Order: sequence, then structure tokens, then C-alpha cells
Amino acid sequence: MLLKNIQEWTWLLIIFGLIAAVGNWIGYSVIPSSSLPGMAVLIVICLAGLILQHVLPVNIPSVAYIGIIGILVSMPVMPGSEYIVKWTESINILALATPILAYAGIAIGRSWTDFVKLGWRSVVVAMFVMVGTFLGSALIAEVVLRMQKMI
Amino acid sequence: MTELKGIWKDWRLHLLVFGIVALSEWIGVFQFTVGPGVILLLPMLYAMLIGLGLFFTPVIKKAQALNAEPLIVLGVTLLIAKIGVIIGPSLSKLIEAGPALLLQEFGNLGTIFIALPIAVLLGLKRESIGMTHSVAREPNVGLIVDKYGFNSPEGRGVMAIYIFGTVFGAVFMGVISGFLATITPLHPLSFAMASGIGSGSMMAAASGSLVAAFPAFSDDIIAFAGASNLLSLSTGLYMSIFIGLPLTEKMYQLMTREKSSHSVGKGA
Repeated sequence: MLLKNIQEWTWLLIIFGLIAAVGNWIGYSVIPSSSLPGMAVLIVICLAGLILQHVLPVNIPSVAYIGIIGILVSMPVMPGSEYIVKWTESINILALATPILAYAGIAIGRSWTDFVKLGWRSVVVAMFVMVGTFLGSALIAEVVLRMQKMI
Repeated sequence: MTELKGIWKDWRLHLLVFGIVALSEWIGVFQFTVGPGVILLLPMLYAMLIGLGLFFTPVIKKAQALNAEPLIVLGVTLLIAKIGVIIGPSLSKLIEAGPALLLQEFGNLGTIFIALPIAVLLGLKRESIGMTHSVAREPNVGLIVDKYGFNSPEGRGVMAIYIFGTVFGAVFMGVISGFLATITPLHPLSFAMASGIGSGSMMAAASGSLVAAFPAFSDDIIAFAGASNLLSLSTGLYMSIFIGLPLTEKMYQLMTREKSSHSVGKGA
């Protein structure tokens, strides 16, 4: 079961990675030969996190493992981290976001019928909800960062 | 994530996404000024809108729309891995910014102070509690449904915001983050922290616009946004249980009481 899942994850991550690498090439002029080593590193980090989440008995989401593994392997004290940083540097984060939202666009078509049923008042409130959390956090961050003289 | 079966073989889906991505990246970033602010349109926004548009054509069948869902999750894992390797080298800086990162999580309560009065003003009743107690991602939908039931006004309210966020959250955040960061005097790094609202795609869109608008801070923006998003994911639910929801209830009662006494006053 786990092996089957690993196989599926690997294929999907490779497909996604290749699409993102081409996007990285078209949008940010990074030729695939220089972005693919970095993409391979990211895929291995993801697989490690997905497998950990599967085998460990605690219920922590896989993205938490993946984030932590990514931080650990790229910390300066980690031997070889300079290669990880150098290879993954060539992958523009926006090039990873574009395919995510392309898949998301196709998937959320299914929510469209629900969406059109929302009244205009809901849409107005939703926009203020998003602006609210965004501005609220930014204001507090600004005050604290200024107090610490970090900005 | 346990029932992935042969989705990688859905070549129709992957080729379509390949085409969408190639076209979107080829179009590139568009930006225009609105008064003193800048609105950025990023390739990811076109990608989402093209994908959504294709859903309504025969090119996309139900199978593709279903198969696309796990790909979002896997794509977000790659994004998180990338954020991880950006945070690693600058971990000390992130720790230094720890107080700001932790405290700005309370800013997520801004939904209550800004959106609840609007909702009440628009005449919404108890729906407004579900709508504005948080940014309404999955854990919060769970909380409200658990507490009030799915068919309660509160449940309908949280679902409305959830649906809006699912369909247009990323597009909306992408557009307003660049705009707000250019019209307000706040620092891009403050907005970077604010970008982590507990949704991978909204965080990517919001921080992506910041990166495009302030390329000099690119790595710091991504590190702060990623760390803040991770914090929001892990603390968001507790924030709602212990502070957000009780506060929304209280403010709602205050506001509606005031309103009803006003109308009584007018009537008399």
C-alpha cells in the first residue's frame, strides 16, 4: 500500500516538476538543465515528508514535515547544504505557484455552482474578511518589526 | 491522500495544465497603476482563470476536475519544500523576527473588526458570525459546523466565505496584496508576514505579488510568508476557539443590541 502510494506520489511530483520547470524556463529564462537538479531535490524532500507522515503514528500534516526537512537540509551547519541552496535557487517560487493554480482552476469549477448562488452581500463580506486578516496582521507585524528596528 | 490511483496517467489533464502554464508564463506579469498604487496581474492568476474557463468546455470532463484536486495538494508540498530551503539559510533572521511573527497571528482577528460591522450593516443576521470569525478555511468550517450545525445560519455563513475563498481567494489576495503594499506606508516584510493566512494558494498569490513588486526583498518575503503560513495553520484553529469565535459572538451581540435600541428610539 505504502509502496503503491510512493510510486503514485513520485510520478505526480515528477509531472508537476516538469511542468513547473518549463514554466520557469518560459517565464524566468532558467533553462531546464539548470533547474532540474533543484527540482529533483525538492521532490525528494516532498517524498521524505509524505513517507514520514505515513509511517509515523502522530497526526501531523505532511507539509509540516516537508517544511522542517527543507529547513534542516538547507541550514548552513548541514554538510552539503550549499549545493541544496545553489540548485534550488534557480527555481522561481512563482513558477511553482502557476501550475498549482492551473490545477486549482480546473478543480474549483466544481464549486462554481455554489459560488454563483452566493448573494452579493456574501461576496462583499468575504472581501472585507480577507482584507481584514491581511491588514490586521500587517499592522501588528509593522509595529513589532519597527520596535525591533528590523525595518 | 491514501486513495491516489493512477492519476498520473490522466495525460489529458497534465497536458492541459502544461499548455495553460506555458501560455500564462509566456504572457508574463502585467502591471498598471491605480492612483498611487500598483495592481499586479501574475501568470498564476491567468492560469487559474483559464483552468476555470476550460472547466465549462467539453475539454475538461468530470474525471479531470476530480483528478486535479490531489495535484493541488502535491503542488503545495513542492512549494513548501521550496520555502523550507529558503528559510534554512536565513533561519537566524527568522528567529530574530520571531516576536513579530507570533504577534501578527493576532492580526487574523482583523476579520472581526473590519468585516463584522460591514456584515451587520448589510443586514446579515447570525450568518455574520460564521462569516467573519476567521478567514474560513477548512479547520474553521469544521469548528462552526461542529458547534452550530451545517444548516444553521452560522454554518451557511462560514460556507459562503469558504466558497468565495476557494474560488477567488488566491486571485483576490494576489491583486490586493501588491496594491495595499504600494499604497500604504507599511513595509513589504510586514505584508509578507500577513500573507500567511493559512491557505497555501492564497499565501503563494499574496507573497508572489509582493515578490514581483519588491524583488530586492524576494527571499525574505518568501521566508516570512512561509513561516507565518505554517504558524497560521498550526495556531489558527485554537485562535478561533479561544479568542475569535467568543469575540465575534460578543461583538455581534453588542452591535445588534445597539442597532435594535436605536430603531426603538426612532420608533418612539
